[in-house]
Amino acid sequence: MTDSPLLQLESVRIRHEGATAFTPDEVGFAVHSGEVVLVLGPSGSGKSTLALALNGLVPHAVPAELEGTVRVDGIATTDTTVARLSESVSMVFQDPDAQIVTGTVLDEVCFGPENLGLPVAEVLARAEAALTQVGLWQRRDENPDRLSGGGRQRLALACALALRTPLIVLDEPTANLDPRGIDEVYTTLADLVARGGHALVLIEHNLDAAMTLVDRVVVLDRSGRLRFDGPARTVLRDHVGELLALGVWLPAATLAGLRMRDAGHPVAELPLTPVELTALVDSLPAPTAPVPAPEGTVRSGASTTPPQFAPGHELAVRVRDLTVHRGRTEVLHGVDLDVPRGAFVALVGTNGAGKTTLLQSIAGVIAPPRGRVDLLGLDPARADVGTLARAVGFVFQNPEHQFVRGTVADELAQSLERQRLSPDEVADRVDRMLERFGLEAARDVHPFLLSGGQKRRLSVGTALIAGAPVLALDEPTFGQDRERAAELLDILSGLHSEGTTVLVVTHDLQLVADHATHVAVLDGGRIAAFGETAAVLASDALVASGLQPPPLARAFRAAAHPAWHGVTRLGDIPTALRASGAGS
Amino acid sequence: MSLAARAARVDPYADRVDHGALRFLHRLNPLAKIAAPLPAMIALVFTRDLAVPLAFIALAYLLLLVGAKLSGRAALGLFVVLPALSAVLAFSIGLWTAPSRTEGTPVLFAIGSFDYTLGALTAGAATALRLGGILVLSLLAGLTSTGPDLVRAMVQQLRVPYRLGYTALAAYRFVPRFGHELDVIRQAHRVRGVSTGRGPVAAVRRWLGYVVPLLAGALRHAERVALAMDSRAFGAHPTRTERHLVPFRARDWVFMLAFWAATAAILVAGAVLPR
Repeated sequence: MTDSPLLQLESVRIRHEGATAFTPDEVGFAVHSGEVVLVLGPSGSGKSTLALALNGLVPHAVPAELEGTVRVDGIATTDTTVARLSESVSMVFQDPDAQIVTGTVLDEVCFGPENLGLPVAEVLARAEAALTQVGLWQRRDENPDRLSGGGRQRLALACALALRTPLIVLDEPTANLDPRGIDEVYTTLADLVARGGHALVLIEHNLDAAMTLVDRVVVLDRSGRLRFDGPARTVLRDHVGELLALGVWLPAATLAGLRMRDAGHPVAELPLTPVELTALVDSLPAPTAPVPAPEGTVRSGASTTPPQFAPGHELAVRVRDLTVHRGRTEVLHGVDLDVPRGAFVALVGTNGAGKTTLLQSIAGVIAPPRGRVDLLGLDPARADVGTLARAVGFVFQNPEHQFVRGTVADELAQSLERQRLSPDEVADRVDRMLERFGLEAARDVHPFLLSGGQKRRLSVGTALIAGAPVLALDEPTFGQDRERAAELLDILSGLHSEGTTVLVVTHDLQLVADHATHVAVLDGGRIAAFGETAAVLASDALVASGLQPPPLARAFRAAAHPAWHGVTRLGDIPTALRASGAGS
Repeated sequence: MSLAARAARVDPYADRVDHGALRFLHRLNPLAKIAAPLPAMIALVFTRDLAVPLAFIALAYLLLLVGAKLSGRAALGLFVVLPALSAVLAFSIGLWTAPSRTEGTPVLFAIGSFDYTLGALTAGAATALRLGGILVLSLLAGLTSTGPDLVRAMVQQLRVPYRLGYTALAAYRFVPRFGHELDVIRQAHRVRGVSTGRGPVAAVRRWLGYVVPLLAGALRHAERVALAMDSRAFGAHPTRTERHLVPFRARDWVFMLAFWAATAAILVAGAVLPR
């Protein structure tokens, strides 16, 4: 391009106060008007730090050292102020709650233009245009808290639009949202891109949603160095092996394409979106039998009889006619649920469907009505904390909330000491747990000073150390990047294979597809469907409850031949190809 | 989510509502509603008799009855809770009044050798009425203004730097959020089996345990909000556009001066009139 770039980075290195390494390290790239650039990289590569440098928050507001130059409209960010730069670069951050400062949707959008000192008429004109564009103009008088997560993030986008900056930086804008919110935000972004006029820099781990929008990708490696910079399709297709080795998360469709390639099927062009994957699948000969063979049944919420499990199946959790109120609202309406021992159950549903309430009732975090929940012969409504802790471990969404002691080792010892075990026994079990979760080196560290991944592992360890055969987790992957989410899911799969019954509330349906044995879909305080994962994902239950099937399931369900429709996880693909005669 | 539901219940930003010309208190500048009763509130600290606080209370009740649209809760507090509290306070302060100061007044009742005299009750009532009076006067502004309007008035009339005022306003949002977070932390700690023991010592220890996670979360949240505000040109210029003007009009002056005049009249009458 001949025009001068909107944004120009030259050997940018950033080191946070107290850190030893520079991440990002020697990064240089340019963004021109109208471009959509996706920044990729494994956790720790400094993507979010880089985002903060683009409007001068680094080094002006965040204590960090910046080397090299970031130029916005030709002006180095170090020569001006964040407030001035906000006329050229606007930001949308990850946490929608942390971006709202006023009491109504309209005031919120006006906040930026008011700070610029624009005349009232201009402020209102901009606010109306921005709110109309994100579809919130009708709700301008409401308190932003009344909006859904997706709605609040669209509001944050409107606030950025009202500043009329040529460049918008979005830092993990959908990481805190449920699938419906993610769709809302991406629909709005797609509209924004289609209208043109804005350059976007997007930091996002959810590539399945982002791939359709992106022109160019910039890839950082684990030490924060620039590895690739080029058109999205070229970089993803030509360097797919290197990207995987770097720990960059690829779109599910691309991973599926790779599986096909590994299975011996020639895939000329790797698919990047579910639509492209469907096209690829349709080019293959259809399998002779449905893959995988349908097993298990899906119970729809309408039927009253609970599903029958094979006689040998002992139940870990048995819920009957459970009705729970929160304040004056009834959140769960007569829920029945049977969880076989050793199952890995995912509770899914839109916000407000009652997932967390159900999980908390089962684990006794909130007291359910008596006689409705049977947890390995225990009624959580009556059991005391100690007895309950030996039956079920509960992991909260934010691990910090449940830390109660001053060191990692004490934290693990807490519930054992409450059981009055001998000091030798406590020390022995703590040591084993530290080793199990790779926390030996951190045993005397304060839990709050651990890294995010370590905190999460410690919270799982404390939930399990009392010997609980059931583990319940409330949205453990919320707000985390893909890598950390996968790390946690691997731990859970490990525990599951050792016999622990795992119950998890989550929004991430692809993780559900890849790990859970059973899925319970909640809708409006009722169980809309419950059954084995493959059967539920292949049914219409998700869509009927306002959820979108995960990308793989979506792509295969869209295939022309119905024999493909049951494929929901990567592991199914080789079998499917063998059945179709396309693989070797 | 539950956070949103909670926050929706506590709405510190509820917009200023206009209830018509009769409910004039809602139409006044919050600063006028604070400045007007201020001399009376200060005077009440130094009064000793019953008539002056009673007169101020009557004035404040009259103004609130006429000039404010009272919610059911506010009316209950004003007409039931506050009088009841004042009565209890009057009686109990009476118990502690030195008998030497009330000697010679009629005995209302006696417990053993202890006499509860009319003088003791009067002394108690005087103190209770002073406190009640100060409270009711402060409600003139408290029940009829919103937080944002007060901040705007402070920025627009008192020239309080807007960075300060609007940061305080943004911090309002923290209250319901931290309330929710505290609930979750308490739940989590209960699950961990921390809630052992009763009594004040155990309670203090429990609460100390909540402080660290709450503060850690609060600091992180505040930092993020600050970055978001900076990114939206907060503080770019010495002044910012105000869409909601909270003017200080002639009616505000009239209200203030009239209130001061009434205050002076009540105080003079209290000093001059025979009792």
